[in-house]
Amino acid sequence: MRRIVLPLLVASSLVWAAVSSAATRPRYGGTLHVAIRAAPASLDPADPVQANSTAAQNISRLVFDTLVILDDRGQAQPALASSWQSEPGGQRWQFMLRTGVKFHNGSAFTPDTVAASLRASNPTWKVFPATDSVIIECDAAVPDFPAELALPRNAIAKRDGNKLFGTGPFAIADWQPGKKLTLTSRDEYWGGRPFVDSIEIEMGKSLREQMISLDLGKADLVEVAPEQAHRAAAEGRQVESSAPVELMALVFSRERQSPEDGKPREALALSLDRSSLNTVLLQGGGELAGSLLPNWLTGYAFLFPTGPDLPRARELRDEAQQVPIWTLGYDPTDPVARVVAERISLNARDAGLKLQLSAANSADVRLVRIVLPSLNARVALTGVAAGLGLTPPKFTGNSVSDLYAAESTLIQSQRVIPLLHIRSSYALSAIVKDWGQDPDALWRLPEVWLGTEKP
Amino acid sequence: MSFRRKLLAVFALTVFLSVAAVTWIVSAITRRAFERSNEERTTALVAQFRREFNRRGEDVVQHVQAIADSESVTRMALALAQGSPDYSAYVTEARNIAENQQLDFLEFVNSEGTIVSSAQWPAKFGYKYSPLQAIQSAPKDAFLKQEELPENATLALSAVRAVGAGERPLYVIGGRRVDKEFLASLELPSGMRALFYQNLGTGFAPQLLIDPSGSLQNPDRVAPLIQQVLLQKQESTEIVHWSSAAADDETVHAIPLAGQDRQTLGVLLVGNSLRPYVDLLQHIRSAAMLVGGASIVLAILLSGWAAGRVTRPVEQLAEAARAVADGNWSTQVEVTSSDELGELAAAFNRMTHELLEQKEQLVQTERVAAWRELARRLAHELKNPLFPLQLTVENLVRARQHSPEQFEEVFRESSSTLLAEIANLKAIISRFSEFSKMPQPQFQRIDLNDVVQNVARLFQAQLRLPDGPPILCTLALGEGMASIAADPELLHRAISNLVLNAMDAMPGGGTLTLRTRQDGEHALLEVSDTGTGLTPEECERLFTPYYTSKSHGTGLGLAIVQSVVSDHGGKISVQSQPGHGTTFLIELPRDHDKIQPPGQSTGATR
Repeated sequence: MRRIVLPLLVASSLVWAAVSSAATRPRYGGTLHVAIRAAPASLDPADPVQANSTAAQNISRLVFDTLVILDDRGQAQPALASSWQSEPGGQRWQFMLRTGVKFHNGSAFTPDTVAASLRASNPTWKVFPATDSVIIECDAAVPDFPAELALPRNAIAKRDGNKLFGTGPFAIADWQPGKKLTLTSRDEYWGGRPFVDSIEIEMGKSLREQMISLDLGKADLVEVAPEQAHRAAAEGRQVESSAPVELMALVFSRERQSPEDGKPREALALSLDRSSLNTVLLQGGGELAGSLLPNWLTGYAFLFPTGPDLPRARELRDEAQQVPIWTLGYDPTDPVARVVAERISLNARDAGLKLQLSAANSADVRLVRIVLPSLNARVALTGVAAGLGLTPPKFTGNSVSDLYAAESTLIQSQRVIPLLHIRSSYALSAIVKDWGQDPDALWRLPEVWLGTEKP
Repeated sequence: MSFRRKLLAVFALTVFLSVAAVTWIVSAITRRAFERSNEERTTALVAQFRREFNRRGEDVVQHVQAIADSESVTRMALALAQGSPDYSAYVTEARNIAENQQLDFLEFVNSEGTIVSSAQWPAKFGYKYSPLQAIQSAPKDAFLKQEELPENATLALSAVRAVGAGERPLYVIGGRRVDKEFLASLELPSGMRALFYQNLGTGFAPQLLIDPSGSLQNPDRVAPLIQQVLLQKQESTEIVHWSSAAADDETVHAIPLAGQDRQTLGVLLVGNSLRPYVDLLQHIRSAAMLVGGASIVLAILLSGWAAGRVTRPVEQLAEAARAVADGNWSTQVEVTSSDELGELAAAFNRMTHELLEQKEQLVQTERVAAWRELARRLAHELKNPLFPLQLTVENLVRARQHSPEQFEEVFRESSSTLLAEIANLKAIISRFSEFSKMPQPQFQRIDLNDVVQNVARLFQAQLRLPDGPPILCTLALGEGMASIAADPELLHRAISNLVLNAMDAMPGGGTLTLRTRQDGEHALLEVSDTGTGLTPEECERLFTPYYTSKSHGTGLGLAIVQSVVSDHGGKISVQSQPGHGTTFLIELPRDHDKIQPPGQSTGATR
């Protein structure tokens, strides 16, 4: 009996080990189904509409490459440019191009094409093609120019009439603007073939529809609202959240006219109970923000106060000679914006201020959400300031203290009141393996492979 | 105004008043009927509203009770009773449960009065519910409640239940909005509508007036009624003029609806359109105007026919009477009916017949009388010369017995006397002959003063006879006398006759005055004497032919004068008193149209 049992045990152990090994080892093939809420009408990286859309940036990264990419610490790493150098002063940069790269239509990756693409994205730049490189001249010194080139809008695209061709890991197989995008993996991708054969992206789906698609097995990757992430995870779904990469803030439409004008603004800032916003309304989906950039990016954000101070807020309100009645605008398509705006209005009422909610664009104060544009803190601050309509920050040096000073100046201008830094969350089906995100919440889909487990 | 017009006016007025009276009566009856109907419809609708209000209230109570009895809320109550609330765990709870229970409003409030979760205002977690006593003393039934929302407020039909025994209950406050859908659920009869005013502010605000049809215009028109009801807290009815068109008017009955603390939170407005009434009234008026118009036309025709029946004989009688007045005494009218008008026509005919007979009788009588007078006058005139003739002849017969000389003398004297008397007889016969042969005047343009002066000159010698009475002839001739159309010869004869009469009237002397003057289109001539004068009876008969007041006259002088004056188109009159003289006044028209061109003549030749 033992003679028989022992070999059977050994054999079954070997089979189990083989099966287990097969379940964890990446495999090629399959179609990844993705659903997103955004419905971009264009895939062109130079389209300015895409700047503040994480989904658009994600799609752009699948089709297009940039000359440079940033690592988790925000340092520039070679991508389509194998190396680069700048002349003293940082106004003229030369990027050596990677060889052996081809566009999706099979055409060669040449300096001329790169120069044309960069000119389309940045009309103010002077871009000159060289033999195996491109030379870019800027009006002023740009110390973080490689990080600038890593922005999705500077991805290299070959424009042939209405058609776009990139060098990314996936090629466009079918494109129905605003509805559906089908991508196929490229065997000849210079970075190596992705594991999945294709990706189908359904666009314009509400978060509720996305969650239903996930539960029905029709989608493998869906977006989850930060306030729903905790609940979705509690209900047994695989939920992945990024670091806080999205700023929620109040932005005044006008510059402060006088110090007197700043008192009601400061009173409003001191009346806000950010903790309730985060823990209750966003269900802990973010972090309290007193600064524009998150703490994980700068390391000094904790220096900016976030707690309410109602007595001081009331004092400032009483000191103000004229207390305006502001209209508070919000994005009506954002499911959480309305309730956040209502809470802000209640907090302001506690300080004796009056905010009238308005879905119109022409409000005195707007509740906005803006995605962190870069993993480079300086580029990110510049991008956030531009996205919020603030005066561009002025950096006196490259140190962290210079960055802090520039950001403090922006905050003290009282045009903006940071509220929260919010995480991006996604729910995944069980077959999605090796899911990964960059710190700025951008997908690493080329590394993802699909398992065989049924949900 | 003619009788025909009077009759027409009476007919038309009668018809108009009759139609107006009938219209007014019908309108009044219609108005009363509509008012009764409106009252009944309003009462029924208000009762329906109250039933619906109560039914919905019971529904809200059931749902709130079900929420309070649910396991999740019980767990929530227990968790909250044990410590400080974790709002993040409940922030969406109220909204989710409200959606499941089909409630518009739902809030969970802990025993300290803190809002744990709110469906209508999710951001309000952690804030105090005010006032907490309102929850603790809330009735078991549903009640009207003002719900505060982030941007405004609204009214709700709410109920309150407490969950959990002990000292730390959890209050469940749920309700449904009193809105368009609520009003739209009422089954409204045609022409009625229900409005609801939410008393959420201090003054009237048009946006707080709920109209399920969404067609309400000029909501300010109903503001006074709402304000009156809010002030007096009593039902009130008023006609609301929504526009200038009367058909848009509505009878609006307003009913105050109180909340938990008896504060008037809402006003139900039940509108009854007056359009059917106005339309019916318009139809009545149109029909009245149509009937009135047709009746007036009929009245005109009838009055015309009736007036014709009455006035035509009367007009014929009037025409006949005018003909009789003009001398046509034989006029007869047609007797067309046997009624009073027919009798009147027959009586008129009899009257004219009698008049004609009496006239002929009178003419006959006058003719006989004239002949008698003529015979008397002829006998008288002829008898006077015959008597001397008889005496003269008898004297001649007796003279034959005297001597021839004496006879010769008597014969000579008698012959002279006979010749004189025969001449006298011839003169008498000649005057009668002249009168019978009065010629027609030959008109020509003359100056009356010239004729008068000629007459005065003719009689000048006779007036100055030494053995005659002392008569002074005075001429008072008017200056600037216009010429007249007259026959100077006939006029001369007429004036001469008047002068002779005047001289005869003054046997003892006196003053004869001839006076002329102009009076408009007439020339006047006065012949006055200061003689014996005439009695009124004599004056009346003065111009009758063959009448004379003198012992020796033929009675033809003044008849000739009147005939001449009459042929000239003039008039003659006399004024006299016994002892004070007599004045004849002749009035002659200028009348130049009578003047005929030379070579033509009218009437008998002289």
